[in-house]
Amino acid sequence: MKILVCFKAAPNVEMLLEEDWVINNELQVDTSFVRNDLGSYEESALEMALKLSDASDDLGIPLELNALTVDGSGATPILKTLSALRFATVVRIQPRNNLLFQPTAVASIISQYIRQHALQDVVLLGRQSDIGENAKTPLLAAEMLGWPCITRATRIEPADKKHLIVTHQVDDGYAREKVRMPCVISVGDAPCTYLRKPTLRDRLDYGKKDIEVLTMEDFQLPAETEMLTGLEILHHERAGVVIEGKSPAEKAKVLYEEHLKPVLSGKEVKR
Amino acid sequence: MKFKCILNGWAPNVKAQAEELNSFMNSFLGNGANPASTILFYANHEDRHSLPGLVPTECAEFVRIDRCQPETILEALQRIEDKEDTSLYLFPAGFAGAELAVRWAFRQKGSSLVQVEQVAPREGCLIAKKKAYADHVLAAFRLTRQPFCISPANGSVDRLPIAARDNLQIIEHDLTGLREDAFARDSQRIPAEQAKDLGAGKFLVVGGRGLGSKEHVKQLKDVAAAMGAEFGISRPVALNAWGPMQWLIGVSGTIARPDVCIAAGVSGAAAFYAGIEKSKIIIAINSDPQARIIKAADVAIIDDYKTVMDELLKILKPIKPAI
Ligand SMILES: Cc1cc2nc3c(=O)[nH]c(=O)nc-3n(C[C@H](O)[C@H](O)[C@H](O)COP(=O)(O)OP(=O)(O)OC[C@H]3O[C@@H](n4cnc5c(N)ncnc54)[C@H](O)[C@@H]3O)c2cc1C
Ligand SMILES: Nc1ncnc2c1ncn2[C@@H]1O[C@H](COP(=O)(O)O)[C@@H](O)[C@H]1O
Repeated sequence: MKILVCFKAAPNVEMLLEEDWVINNELQVDTSFVRNDLGSYEESALEMALKLSDASDDLGIPLELNALTVDGSGATPILKTLSALRFATVVRIQPRNNLLFQPTAVASIISQYIRQHALQDVVLLGRQSDIGENAKTPLLAAEMLGWPCITRATRIEPADKKHLIVTHQVDDGYAREKVRMPCVISVGDAPCTYLRKPTLRDRLDYGKKDIEVLTMEDFQLPAETEMLTGLEILHHERAGVVIEGKSPAEKAKVLYEEHLKPVLSGKEVKR
Repeated sequence: MKFKCILNGWAPNVKAQAEELNSFMNSFLGNGANPASTILFYANHEDRHSLPGLVPTECAEFVRIDRCQPETILEALQRIEDKEDTSLYLFPAGFAGAELAVRWAFRQKGSSLVQVEQVAPREGCLIAKKKAYADHVLAAFRLTRQPFCISPANGSVDRLPIAARDNLQIIEHDLTGLREDAFARDSQRIPAEQAKDLGAGKFLVVGGRGLGSKEHVKQLKDVAAAMGAEFGISRPVALNAWGPMQWLIGVSGTIARPDVCIAAGVSGAAAFYAGIEKSKIIIAINSDPQARIIKAADVAIIDDYKTVMDELLKILKPIKPAI
């Protein structure tokens, strides 16, 4: 069974200060000076793939893990970590320009990669990227591959060589289903899926492996039918009155007397 | 611009979905100015009688299918919509709606956008806005190819009750038996741990990663209950399995609209803040004076959340808030 996890490193924008939020001429916020992290859903996807691999080993089902990102060289440290975590191939496709808001292009590159370079049984993606937040790539990749798609998975278990058991979020809770491969799986809010750390030994033994880099010469891009035309920074300021006091008890009392009492007694609240 | 609403009568929250679409239509697509109809999918004969009350438009098509998988709904849509000239499809905000919007647009060679906050038709295109950059930015997109397929952001609009209609025009379809070869089988439903509508409470306490452990989450939930408040959590708390996902507040969970919200041990990331931003009063309790939530709150206490909440409970418990 071959599994491909697609991910995108994202700048940790919670590190930006209020004054860093500026839109530049290319309709982007400059985030080049903050650390790149794995997107939160993609981190879950990678860890779920590793858990699936552990469980498949136990059942004697052979499984190969691969990882792919369409991104600049900033993603290299993450790719090295994935090599150290024993992903068999780690591939980076260098885009010509920033594809942050072009999920159709990203999905098209992913599906061309799978068809022309390395056929897979399962493609695992996050349900949404942290910065682009398009929430479209897995769905488009499924359509382009002509594969079915399970969305918002929270747990993936092996069943046999052709099937997986997938638990996923639905409108009224969860559904647990036996799913036929090939398929696309998008990962949702999955508890306890922080990415494990490779051992130092594995870093030395596997982490130095070359990363395969492909260029866009091998890929064709479809026309975009959704064009970004503007960005507007959202501000969330309120009064921010800080309650002073000598002890937590005193602060709680002021909070109650001055702010909570009028509301909790059922009086109309004005903002 | 001719448009259609798509509703999934299977979802237990279909009424809320219908009311949200009704409100979205009213806000952005002109009250009755554009010809509109609704396609409503349902499963059981017993549900048929309640369907008219869910239709926010003057015409409706009721489609009976026997699997609520997106694969089946998409195929059913293809059967009944093949030669249609609809310019815009409006899907609900739930999980399935966003998914169907993207895939239906792809199949119809149209364009799509999900988690949409606002739309405006302009010169044959559609301008639609949604959040990006971890919810710090509102991004505008021009959709150029029809049909435009849209799904609103969770909680982006209020709910607008559906007016009863005597003259509803109905077309019925029976498409049961589609897709016998479903790729997903042996489906077991695991109902949500808490069905209660977190968004509707008047007094909400939310706990964040600052709570530090599963045990502390439980303690704060008990304190909230003793104060007469609902209890929600931030995403890291849910991801650490310190509390169930159904308690999640924020863009990925519930968008709450309480009178009072106490946010304890949360930093105030934009994706979380969207879930409490509609509160009338936000009170932050955080030990870090630099935390983003302080400026985004009406009132803040810089201290350990636990001691403050315990003290507050001493005051509130004998009072029993009226809201
Ligand atoms: C696409 C996307 C969707 C998302 N959706 C959601 C969502 O729906 N909901 C959500 O919550 N997040 C969501 N997030 C995650 C969000 O960006 C933040 O990571 C998250 O909200 C942070 O949670 P937190 O404030 O609990 O944790 P942290 O950011 O770690 O903050 C913990 C806070 O607790 C304070 N603290 C520590 N100890 C104490 C103490 N003893 N007393 C008082 N204060 C203390 C600290 O000072 C700190 O400010 C989403 C992210 C993305 C990218
Ligand atoms: N540039 C990229 N390279 C690889 N995978 C990506 C890329 N962009 C998005 N993805 C995947 O698609 C998911 C959804 O992204 P998006 O549609 O942008 O919200 C992400 O969680 C990733 O798993």
